Amino acid sequence: MSFLRGFRAILFKEFLVVFRDRGTLFFMFFPPLLQIIAFGFALDNDVKHMALVVFNEDRTIESRQLVDAFVNTQTFRVIREVHSRVEMEAEVRRGRAYAGLQIPPEYTRELRAGRRATVQVLIDGSNSTTALQALNTALGVGLRRSVELLLGETGRRELPVEVRPQVLYNPAMRAPNFFVPGVIGTALQIATVFAVAMAIVRERERGTLENLLVSPLSRWGLMLGKLVPYLCTSMTMALFLFTILRWVFGVPIRGSLVLLFAAALFYIFALACLGLLVSTRAKSQNEAMQMSMSIMLPSIFFSGFIFPRETLPAFFYGISTLLPATYFIELMRAIILRGATLAEFWRHLLILATMGAVFFVLCALRFKKKLA
Amino acid sequence: MIECANLTKKFGDFTAVDNVSFSVAKQSIFGFLGPNGSGKTTVIRMLCGILEPSAGTAQIGGVDVVRDTERVKGRIGYMSQKFSLYDELTVNENLLFYGRLYGLRGAAAKQRRDELVALTHLSPYLDRRAAMLSGGWRQRLAMACALVHKPSVLFLDEPTAGIDPVARRELWDLLFELASTGMTLFVTTHYMDEAERCSHVGYIYMSKLIICGEPDDLKQLPAVNPTGTRRLDVTCDHVTVGLQVVRKLPGVRTATVFGQSMHLLVEEALPEEQLRAALREARIHTADIRPIAPSLEDVFVALTAEHSQNGGRP
Repeated sequence: MSFLRGFRAILFKEFLVVFRDRGTLFFMFFPPLLQIIAFGFALDNDVKHMALVVFNEDRTIESRQLVDAFVNTQTFRVIREVHSRVEMEAEVRRGRAYAGLQIPPEYTRELRAGRRATVQVLIDGSNSTTALQALNTALGVGLRRSVELLLGETGRRELPVEVRPQVLYNPAMRAPNFFVPGVIGTALQIATVFAVAMAIVRERERGTLENLLVSPLSRWGLMLGKLVPYLCTSMTMALFLFTILRWVFGVPIRGSLVLLFAAALFYIFALACLGLLVSTRAKSQNEAMQMSMSIMLPSIFFSGFIFPRETLPAFFYGISTLLPATYFIELMRAIILRGATLAEFWRHLLILATMGAVFFVLCALRFKKKLA
Repeated sequence: MIECANLTKKFGDFTAVDNVSFSVAKQSIFGFLGPNGSGKTTVIRMLCGILEPSAGTAQIGGVDVVRDTERVKGRIGYMSQKFSLYDELTVNENLLFYGRLYGLRGAAAKQRRDELVALTHLSPYLDRRAAMLSGGWRQRLAMACALVHKPSVLFLDEPTAGIDPVARRELWDLLFELASTGMTLFVTTHYMDEAERCSHVGYIYMSKLIICGEPDDLKQLPAVNPTGTRRLDVTCDHVTVGLQVVRKLPGVRTATVFGQSMHLLVEEALPEEQLRAALREARIHTADIRPIAPSLEDVFVALTAEHSQNGGRP
């Protein structure tokens, strides 16, 4: 037992400190919870009911049917009718409307004469997500009107070709299903890396680390005594986050719960070792915070949490392969949404485990029982 | 009990401890003095095995600190600067934690805690968080934590800094009590009155150990008592004005204020009457002039001045 000497003392003390220090506990649990709630509720990129202004110079049944067709897509809602082109543009520029629909006076006349009738749609391109959605919807409405009219002319009742898409795993295409598993990855990362790094740096700042170093406490005893309590708190948090995912956002968990928690444990272990590694370098809590942040930020941008990794330039893609969060988030989406099994994703688990092991060994090498 | 030879520590270009050698006998109280930044804490850290010396050797009770660090650890206690404790834990929990850290379990840990509480009179505060203790009680708790494994050598790094005089006195009573049980104590301090209480003192200045020995022997050193001089204590009114007067007199080598009196180092030939006359001229009444032995402060001032002249910068 000599290689673990002092482990139980540190473990017991660390648990006491964690539960006594309300501030740390609050900062461990509050930001991740806030993050998951914020992303789950607010970051909904299903664009619906975008404000539309209509400049209808035609004023016929046909032109009103066209406006209704726009509204029926659920993508648009008419906020008002305007009476000039200038007024329409002004509404879009002011940001009151995402799009403007202009129907010229000759619309119905041209239609009836069998010539091409044109309508114009102005789209605010300053937000690419909403602009894309508006563009696709507008083109779709035009196409559908055209097909309906052509069908009427040929006397056919049905479309010659019909595509029947089936969206798997997230049929309603709800954004939380996509985002929340990623949020769990980043939230766990912030809480774990930071908590572990702080646990040692705080002792260094206070001077208690010196007392530990003069004691017969072993290096492994100190490292594991610091790791285990935060593995426990982070696993508890993972449980909270999964619960919120399932019951607050109603995202069904299709895969095995055992696999889910195993993935979380491997991930958290790698993060905790990363935190320990930070603590071997950081002299102050501020430094620890900055170093943790420099690991967090790439994880937010390059892990596939928000942007698909496949679109990243080669350099950033390279970074993404080094981040534990990348593998964890992929695992989460696979297990939660697609019900993936171990046979399909053992490689990701293995990579996370390897990362944890490498970080742990690096720590052990850097962790000297001496002062700098 | 403590033996170190040519101990040196360099941080880059800076030499924090330069070729320091001394030994401390068992059961003695060794006072380690020196200004801030002179290398006191660095020496302690090397002796405790948490800082690797750049050169030189150190032994505790015959065991090499560098090669056999783990064996030394069970024999030494270390009370670091500022009484580092776990603020979130109570007095009781701090004591039990250090007990466990040193391998005490269950009943043994509790029994040792009770002994230490009795020794340091901490019993009224057992359930108080360490953060809520005043300086004096923090210091006692830190001391109790350092004693948990009954070390044979106890290192105390400025144990009385920022502590009220009563707590200071009580700490020293405790130190004497520990020394009487056979423990060797190594104490750093700024206070000269504390240095006078030590059985041995060392003075480190600009990373070099300038002097080491028993206080009474040090006071007999020729450098402290240059031939043809004597030390006088002059009690008079307005000492600060009087100081300026006597400093101008030929035959007065050094003069410093000491409370209501001045301590002078004068030529043997200088008559006391000449001092009185000079002060009378400045309308200062002289109450008493008497010969005195040098204090430890005089020793250190004299040796520092000598060291500075011999190449070291002040």
